[in-house]
Order: sequence, then structure tokens, then C-alpha cells
Amino acid sequence: MNLDWVMVALSGLKAFAVVMFAMNVAVLLTWADRRQGAAIQDRVGPNRAVIWLPTPLAQGLAVLPAIAVAAALPAYVKFNAELRESEIGGASLVISQLAIFFVWFTALAIAGKVRNRGIRNSFDAFLAGFGDPRRIVYVGFAAHAVTLALGAFFRNTSTGDALAQVGVYGGAAVFSFAVLFGAGYAAYSIRHEPRVGLRLIGLLHPAADGLKTLFKEDFIPPKADRFLHSVAPLISFFPALVVLGVVPFGDTLCFGVDEQGGLLLSELMAFVPKEGVCTEGALPLGVIDLNVGVLYFFALAGTGIVGAALAGWASDNKYSLLGGLRAASQMVSYEVTMGLTLIGAFMIYGSLRVDAMIRWQAENTWGVFVQPLGFVMFFAAAVAESKRIPFDLPEGESEIVAGYYTEYAGMKFAMFFFAEYIAVVTSSALLAAIFLGGWHLPFINRAGLEIAIGDAVYFTQQLPHALVVVIGLLGFILKTIALCWVQLTIRWTLPRFRYDQLMRLGWRKLLPASLANILLTGMLILLVQGAGAKFLSGLEIAADLTMLAVALLGIYAVVQLVLFLLKPPRKRRLYAPSAAQFAAAMGGTRNARMQA
Amino acid sequence: MEALDQDLDDAELEVASEPMLLNVGPAHPAMHGTVRIVMELSGESIERCDVQVGYLHRGFEKMCERGTWTQVFPYVDRLNYVSPMLNNVGFAMACEKLLGVTVPDRCQYYRMILGELARMSDHLTCDGAMAMELGAFTPFLWMIKGREMIWDLMEEETGARLTHSFGRVGGMAQPPTDGFKENVKAVTKQILHIIEEVERLLLGNRIFLDRLENVGIVSQEDAISLGWTGPCLRATGIPYDIRKSHPYMKYGEVDFDVPVGSASDCFDRFMVRIEELKQSSRIIDQCLERMPDSGPVNVDDPRVILPPKEDVYTTIEGTIQHFKIVMEGLKIPAGEVYSYTEGGNGELGFYIVSDGSGTPYRVRIRPPCYYITGGLERVITGQMMADVVPCFGSLNMIGGECDR
Repeated sequence: MNLDWVMVALSGLKAFAVVMFAMNVAVLLTWADRRQGAAIQDRVGPNRAVIWLPTPLAQGLAVLPAIAVAAALPAYVKFNAELRESEIGGASLVISQLAIFFVWFTALAIAGKVRNRGIRNSFDAFLAGFGDPRRIVYVGFAAHAVTLALGAFFRNTSTGDALAQVGVYGGAAVFSFAVLFGAGYAAYSIRHEPRVGLRLIGLLHPAADGLKTLFKEDFIPPKADRFLHSVAPLISFFPALVVLGVVPFGDTLCFGVDEQGGLLLSELMAFVPKEGVCTEGALPLGVIDLNVGVLYFFALAGTGIVGAALAGWASDNKYSLLGGLRAASQMVSYEVTMGLTLIGAFMIYGSLRVDAMIRWQAENTWGVFVQPLGFVMFFAAAVAESKRIPFDLPEGESEIVAGYYTEYAGMKFAMFFFAEYIAVVTSSALLAAIFLGGWHLPFINRAGLEIAIGDAVYFTQQLPHALVVVIGLLGFILKTIALCWVQLTIRWTLPRFRYDQLMRLGWRKLLPASLANILLTGMLILLVQGAGAKFLSGLEIAADLTMLAVALLGIYAVVQLVLFLLKPPRKRRLYAPSAAQFAAAMGGTRNARMQA
Repeated sequence: MEALDQDLDDAELEVASEPMLLNVGPAHPAMHGTVRIVMELSGESIERCDVQVGYLHRGFEKMCERGTWTQVFPYVDRLNYVSPMLNNVGFAMACEKLLGVTVPDRCQYYRMILGELARMSDHLTCDGAMAMELGAFTPFLWMIKGREMIWDLMEEETGARLTHSFGRVGGMAQPPTDGFKENVKAVTKQILHIIEEVERLLLGNRIFLDRLENVGIVSQEDAISLGWTGPCLRATGIPYDIRKSHPYMKYGEVDFDVPVGSASDCFDRFMVRIEELKQSSRIIDQCLERMPDSGPVNVDDPRVILPPKEDVYTTIEGTIQHFKIVMEGLKIPAGEVYSYTEGGNGELGFYIVSDGSGTPYRVRIRPPCYYITGGLERVITGQMMADVVPCFGSLNMIGGECDR
């Protein structure tokens, strides 16, 4: 097949993926937003949307994919001749860890279920015999640690090779068994249910809400400007969706090219050198790599607020008008700051292209360390641009009802609503790309893992090219979601500004500070340029140390997350009022599904 | 109101423009569904405004005149519906004043504890709603969680969460439950913890302080001439608290402070309420210590108090007594009296006139909110549109009480 056509098809696929990413994360955010609000009140949040499946279908959905997965891994092990000879150590590591994970995770899932609904059969009784399900997690962690230690201890010895064989074949067998058993158990335990509800931990709820808006009345006020009223949500929605195009999601993916000019997929699993990017068969993981880069983002993000202003004007409502005016003035004020805060970053990176910025950060250090002030100010300005608390004056629900979208209903309202959430995603993605290294993760380069401070290299591990790219992609998504979550938390915590305070913050504080940031950055750049070699190598070590700090912080965060998940929930009852005593006497409310 | 737009003198304006007239409410998120404000806006600042109340008027005082004295209690529940217990107690005390009876000590402490809990629920709601309307949602949810605890407790004591109808002339409907003291202690401890959390979250927050400080200032003279009482008056620096100035029940014997503000802005009103929450908890602690665990709750007066149920069913005296009180109502001697207590928002006065029959001749209520809302126009004129929210929130206008 012609390479050009493949690339065109892949570009379409990338654009589709980016749009789906933005919309899905936006849905996730609405869900998380409401869940978080409910968590503050000790509620579970919206969880009512459900798809009822007939029991045989649910059983099939559980078992058939499990059979496919359970068959795939042993088959891969069996028929992959290369694997049997070389690299058996790495494969053994991956497969055995995977097997152990699936065993304890399946056991944990079943044990949790048993704890909720009580013991029904002898296997339940066996699992319940462990006591607290957390013990299963501890045993699983211990098994991970023991196998890892064994692998490291017997590396490159004959015992090690034998162990690796056991790891690969035994691991594959155990993995298949765990997957099949878990799915089979799930199918078995629902056999008496008349139907099975698919709730996806409440994720269907925002989807159902979105669907609902399609069927609502499309109301246009009688004296409104019908055309502008209808076109405003589009103007608001569209730019929010397309700005993600300039943000690369991962490192450039290199397909090999054979003599006929076709693609060579096997190259994906090969190792590539640390430096440089392939020239042929390269697939940049961004929709488009514009040379104007971030300017494209500014141009389109600014357009979005035109929609809000138009909506305010076209609605024939004084509240809408006030909201539209506020939106316009906020845009004018914060767009300036937003641009100026990034100039410091442009000066350091020497490019407007987001891809080049990320490569600079991968080589040196993340932007947040060289432009801390720029990061904070851009973050503030980005939140202001997405019109969310504390900058949600254009909506100001308690002041001007719903601001510019007071007169909107149905899908048009949903488009404004959705645009706001997508703006959160895009601004987070841009922040992650410009200041948090994009797809770059500490000590991971194109060749693999290399822990090095300055010139001293402590540990290297080559990784296949595709794996490196996928890890970077996941890292980028994780950073974006983390930043989104920070924005959600801000929204739940801070009150909103008043109009004049907002303007004062924008013009009298953020703007001068961003100008000072430019001056400071310029002086620092001149300083570094004039410095000697010793100073530069010191800077390099400092950069590596920041990366080390980021890595340690990441590990600490993961540990904290695990500890948090293992912590028993703190359910306290101040006292048992008569109603609760009565409920307990009648059998309690434990098994009733909590819905909100 | 319609006069506002008729006396515009266009000649004074340089540009041929007119100020925007904006009708806010009664169906507006910040107006609690009960007030209408017509504003004359110049940009975002309010040049003139006109506050119109009465959207929740239910003919409350007239309704009181058609039943017995006891049948008024469900009505007073619906005055300040965030702290109905204070209204119950206030009305019961007015009747008792005219009747010339004093309830036993145990009842007095019981009323004080329940009343202070109701005050806590009132202040928690007001401060929480104020934060929420400024966009800070979390403190609101925390404080409502605290209020929920109080309402659970009230449900345990009275059987109803919101409209208890628990007061009776000459006592209370029921004696305290067995676990009352422990439950109250558990609840107040949790609420103090919540207040601490809220303080940590809000009082170090520059945005929150900027929104409240120096907003909605009222001078002491204005506050007095408007007839303000309660936290809003105390925020101007005048330490007038009926519990301290004219002690009733056992308030003279317990030790508590009256917090006052200095700047008399929204922030002071917010903080006075926060501080009063802590003082209420102090009062409750002392009352719990002193409240006897046993003993009568109701006055020992067969003309006023219903006989025990078993007597009603077994003795002829009990049956007749029950019949007389229920059918004819208890007879309050002819005369008139003004009784006032410290409600959630200030002086809650009941002016009652009895003609000696079993039915009230006149029940006039002095709701604190009505006079406070009277000052709203003065508070928000000259402020920005967005300032209406904290100003109105900090005045804590309760529709049921204001419009009656």
C-alpha cells in the first residue's frame, strides 16, 4: 500500500482520537465533578443511569473476552519462536508479574463482593477465611516482590534461565486460569439474576444526561436574534474542540519502511537510538504540527468567547447581556496575560511549536522548573479562559442567573456546558505540554530507561520503541487528567471574584508580573549564555536533579494512592437515633443499593 | 416601584443613554424565591434600587386567631423555618407570661439547649449559604452536614426534622429522651470541628475576604434607626443581645460572651455568626451540666397541661380535663403582653392579646428579618451587582418570618 495514503488515513484516525479524547475526558470530568461534590456530603453521586442486560448476554460478555484473552497469551508464548530463545528474561518478568497481578486482583474483587453480599458457596467461604480482603492485597504485593527479587538475584545464571522458563510458561498458565476463573465466577454468580444492570460506576449517568438534552425543547426567545442565538453555541463549542490539534500526545512513532515503500510494523518492537528521530515512516502523534503552534491555540481560544458574547447579545435578556459583556471583557483582559506569560517560555524553548518545546524539556528539564512564575500565571489565566470558578463571572449563577446561557435549553445549552469542560481538558493538555514535559517522563528517552545524573549513569534498561511511546502517551494522559482534577478541586474550593477584582487581578497583578517574568527570563538567558562550561555542567546536573525529584515525587504519589486505597473507610455514626435503630432491627439498610 | 423610570432627566446625561432597569427576583437564585429587587444599574453598579417583600405572605397572624392557643405552635414553626424551636419557645413564653406560670428548671434548660441548637442550625445555614452563593461550595456542604446532625437530633427529640411543633404552653410536648445529653455532646463536638474546618478553608482565602470586607457597610445609627437586632446589629459593634440585656429562662446564670463586630460589613456579620456558634456550644455545655436528669418538665397545673393518657382513658376527671383543653383550648386570662426572645436573626417578639376565651384575640409578631430587610436598600445602593449576593446573604432574610 502507498505510504502517503496510510499516513493520510492515520491523520484522520489521529484527529478522531483527539476529538474523542477531549469529549470523553470532558464526560469523565462531569462525572468526577459530581462524584467529588457528592463525596463531600458522604454520598455516592449520580448513579441511576443503567443499561439492563439479559443474564445470558451479560454472562457471554464476561466469559467470551476472557476466553479470548486467556487463549491469546499462551498462544503468543507458544508460537513466538524468538521469545523462546532470546529475551526470555524480560518476557518472563512481564508475564509472571501479570499473572500474579491478575490472581490477587481477581481474588480481591470476589472477596469484596462476598463481603458485601455474604457467603454463598464454599469458595466464598474459603476467601472469607482470609478475613480482611486487604490481606489478599498484601499477599499479592509480597508475591510481586518475591518474584522480582528472584529474577534479579538469579539474573544471567542457569538457575535463572530455568526460572525464566517457569515464569513464562507457568505465568501464562496461571494468567489464563485467573482470567477464566474470574469471568466464570462472575457468570456463575449472576445465573439467578433476572437481568444485570450495567452502570459503569455511574459513568453512564453523564452520558444519559447528554443524550437527554437532545430530546429537550429547543427554545428561542421570541425577540431574540434567531440566527445568532443558534450559531453562538457552535462558535463556543468548535474552537474548544479543535485547539487540541496542535498538542502532540506522544513521541514520534517510527514505522520501518521496506524496499517497496510499505510499512514495516516489526520495527515498532525494535530498539531505537537515544538521539534523533527517524526521517522515513515517522508518525508524529499529534494531529498537526503547525509552525505557529501555540499561536493557533490563542487564536482559537479567543474565538470561543465570541460565542459567549454573541449568546449574551442575541438572547434578548438583560442577565444574558451582562454575562456576555463580562465574558467579552474577561477574554480581552486574560488573553493578553495568557500570551505574555508564555513569552518567557518561548524565549527559553526558542520555538512556538509544541513538539519542539517538549523535546527541549526532554533534553533539559521541565518548563515548570525554568518558568515557575510563568506556570502559575498561565494556569490562572487558563482557568480564567475556561470560565470556571473562581473566574465564572460570565455565568455567575447566584448573581446573573446563568449569565450568557440563561436563555438556552436542550442541546444548545449542553454545547456551552460541554465546551466549558472541554476547555478544561485542552488547557490542562497545553499546560502539561508546555510546562510539565508533555509526553516526557523522567529518565525515559527513546532508547529506554536511563537513570543518570550529569555524566554518571546509574542504571540503563533498553525498551522497545513502541513501549516507550506508549508509556509517554500514558504519561501525558495522566498529567492532563491530574491537571484537570486540580481544576475541579479549585472549582469546589474557591469563591468567585467580583468583576472589578477580576479586572484588577488581570491588569494590575498578572500583567505586570508577566512582564517582569519576561525581563527576568531575558536576564537569566543572557547570564547562562555568558557563563563558563563549569556552570553549564552544573546546570545540567541541577536539571537532572529536578527530574530525580519529579520521579521521587511520582513514586511517593503512587505509594500514597495505594495507602489511601487500602485505608479502611471512616464510617462514623455519632449516635444511633430511633430511626436508625428501627432500620437496624428490621434487617438494616446495608444491602440496599445507595443511589442518588 | 414603577415610578423609578419616570423621573429620568435625560438632559443630565452626556450620552443619550439610560440606566438599565433590572428586575431581580422573586424567582432569582440569590433572592431565595421571596424578594424582588428592582435595580437601576449603571454598568455593574447599583445606582438606585427598590426592595419589595411580601411574596411569602400567608396571612399568618390572622390564621392564629381561628384556633386554640396550642394550635398556634405549628404556625410559628413556619416563621423562621431554619430555627423553628426558637419560635416555639418564644411563643410558649409569651403565653406563659400572660398566664403567669413558670416552667420547671428542667424544662427551662431543655428549652435552652434545644433553642441554642436551633440557633446553631440557623447560623450554619446562613454562613454556609453565604459562602455557597459566592461560589465556594465545599463549606456549604460541610455546614449543611452539621445542620443535618442537629436535625437528626431534633428528630430524635421531637419526631420531626423541620417543623417540630414541640413547644407547649407550660412545658414541652415530651420530656428529653434517655440519651439526650450524650447525643447533644456528640453533635456539638462535631459541629465545632466543622466550624474549625470552615474557618481554615475560608478565613485564609483572599478571594473570600475581598468579597466580604468593606462590602455592605451600615452605620450604627442607621442600624438602630432601622430597628435592626441580632447578629446584624451586633456586627455594627452594639452588644445588644436579649439573652444578655434582658435575660430570660436561665440565660442570666450561664456564662457566655456576646461577639460584636467593628466594621459592620458583610465579613463582620459572617464572623459574628461563626463566633455565636461557638458561644451557643458553650451555653449548651453549661446547660447540660446543670439540667436535672429527672423531674417534671411541665408545670403542675391541670388547667394548662394535658393529663397523662392513661388517666384520660381510666378516670372521669382526666377525660373531662383532656376534653376541655382540646375542645375549648386552655384559658389564658384576658389581657395583653409583649414577650421577646433572641431568635436566630434578632429580637423575636410576640405581642399577644387574649380576651379570656380559649382562642387568641390577636397574635402580632415582630420578626427580626422584616426590619433587617428594610435596610437592604441602604446596604446595596452604590455597591456592585455582584455584591447583592453577600449583602443579602449576610442579612439572612428568611421569607417565612419576614412576610409572615
